[in-house]
Amino acid sequence: MALARAESLSFAYPGSTVPALRDVSVGLTPGEVTLVLGCSGSGKSTLLRAFAGLVPHFHGGRFSGRVELAGLDTRRHGPAQLAGTVATLFQDPEDQVVFTRVLNEVAFGLENVGTPPQEIEARALAALASVGAEHLSGRLVAELSGGELQRVCLAATLALEPRLLLLDEPTSQLDPEGAKALLELALRLARERGTAVLLSEQRPALPLELCDRVLLLDDGRLTFDGPVGRARAWLEEHHPLFVSAGGDVGVHLHHFGEVTSRLDGVSYAYEDHLLVLDDASLELRRGEIVALVGPNGSGKTTLAKLAAGLLEPQSGRVDRRGRATYLSQDPGRYVLRERADEEVSVGVHGDLAAASRALAAVGLAGHEARHPRDLSSGERERLALAAVLAPEPDLLVLDEPTRGVDPERKHELAVLLRANRRRATLVVTHDEAFARAVADRIVSLALDRELVHA
Amino acid sequence: MRPAPAAALLFGLAAAALLARHTASVAALAAVLLVVCLRAPVSRRWPYLIGSLGSASALFVLTPFVERLPGTVFWSGPTIPVVGTLDVTSTELSGALFNACRLAAVSLAFSAYALWLDHDRLVQAAGFARRSVLAVALATRLVPALERDAAGLVEALRGRGVEPEGIRGRARLLSPLLAGSLERSLSLAEAMEARGFGRPDATRLPQPRWGLREPLALAGAALAVVVGVLWL
Repeated sequence: MALARAESLSFAYPGSTVPALRDVSVGLTPGEVTLVLGCSGSGKSTLLRAFAGLVPHFHGGRFSGRVELAGLDTRRHGPAQLAGTVATLFQDPEDQVVFTRVLNEVAFGLENVGTPPQEIEARALAALASVGAEHLSGRLVAELSGGELQRVCLAATLALEPRLLLLDEPTSQLDPEGAKALLELALRLARERGTAVLLSEQRPALPLELCDRVLLLDDGRLTFDGPVGRARAWLEEHHPLFVSAGGDVGVHLHHFGEVTSRLDGVSYAYEDHLLVLDDASLELRRGEIVALVGPNGSGKTTLAKLAAGLLEPQSGRVDRRGRATYLSQDPGRYVLRERADEEVSVGVHGDLAAASRALAAVGLAGHEARHPRDLSSGERERLALAAVLAPEPDLLVLDEPTRGVDPERKHELAVLLRANRRRATLVVTHDEAFARAVADRIVSLALDRELVHA
Repeated sequence: MRPAPAAALLFGLAAAALLARHTASVAALAAVLLVVCLRAPVSRRWPYLIGSLGSASALFVLTPFVERLPGTVFWSGPTIPVVGTLDVTSTELSGALFNACRLAAVSLAFSAYALWLDHDRLVQAAGFARRSVLAVALATRLVPALERDAAGLVEALRGRGVEPEGIRGRARLLSPLLAGSLERSLSLAEAMEARGFGRPDATRLPQPRWGLREPLALAGAALAVVVGVLWL
């Protein structure tokens, strides 16, 4: 018997002529872990939001068909009423935190659903303990690392003891070990409690090992629904990049040009005096693509910013030749202009022709006049990439460029980066498969700040 | 001290600054609040201090040019259409100083509230109008969130090899900053609704009992208002 069911569900966001979901019918069973895959913009997040009642109640738009959760029709019951029966863990933990202290944050949902006051603290602490974060209960949310914060958010959802758990790319900000730990933990707890889980992920390798069933959405349509064993074979045939390690993007080179950036024994500490980098050295040559990998907190972003000239080292020396551009994490958030071509032209003194060429290179030709905030999240990421490619830099630094990017777009990005060998490229990434596919050299930064070249 | 009486005390001091009639009294209140703010960590306090003291200074500088009050003329300038002749008189200057001190005191009281109070506990303590208190607490967090977003925008610009220069260069970031904060607030609202915010049957964590300092702070708040009306 299905706990939740969507029947002939179609939905279009307000102002959009293209439906995000088209005639989707699917049922979710208690204790079953269902992985939903699909390219960016295929409707994965929308499907999760429909089961939470956020579509259509929060977003508005045109909704047809029916979604039922534990016998409640989501057209008549809004997300607040469904909360507790369903709980959602969103992609970006910073966008879902309400309180400044961990215990209050976990208790927030319990308070909202009317938990007896004398039970709230005990249940919040038990939820924190279940994700191994009991020691964080008195801490300030702002002091937590990305992994710790996502665990706290998971505890906040599990504290509600939901019958349906929705996980919307919950590991996109975590390193592979952190992602594995969080997913294994969430799915183990869900199975123990007989909770139905609907999980959306862009790095499918690990979830494919852990789930029972796979859905694949393509342009809003459900094109595959079956057990994980059959899913692998189907994906190999129809979407091979979802089950391969990055695909073929050409040969890796071994001989490169002049040095464009040399970091020699650099050290850096932020205001809190915690040493993030200590005596690190790195050389980047024209034509070379270097992937910088390592766990959360190992100093990858700091090293990348030093290489790009956004930070100055407190000791050691950085030599750069030519122009460097840097694409920050989550670049779609930082939109500066009101047209896509103007946004890209910021770094080329308003040269709209150069901006159009860069837009075409990232597959956004024809989008010149659109407002950047009207673009989908995936399109925004590509727009930001165009903005750092347009100046034709001698050193291109990309910080987590594959976060929230589907395997097919990742492959396109790898091909794009490898097509231009006139510059040096430094890619900071948690995505080991992408690093292996795109890079000529992988540099690993450990928590003890030691650089390992491979 | 629990946050609710501390907030009441700060509110009392701000009210006293608004009710007082003497510049010296208002300046003294502003100085006390400035000392409170200066005890906060440097990295957190600077946007609040710049906002408070900057707006008060701007008010002090601009007021004499837009007011037309008699008194000893210190400076007489050109005649501007609609505005008239620009001049600065002793009465205008003393009025400007008074209003600037008032603005500084009120905004420093807010800064002390934002910097020192535990907003989670303030929301928890709200026996009524909890949704409004939560809205105020979230609005208070807007300043550090805007600070982070502004840093992100500047970094995005520098990442393209462009340095935001001068006041005009930075002013152009205001519009994207506002749009970004609206997007962020929508995401937060969605997450809050998904967690049941707004249900009529909501409960709250039990609150610890008050000690001696809490009623004293409440009494101090009431006293500050009375003193502001009668003697300051």
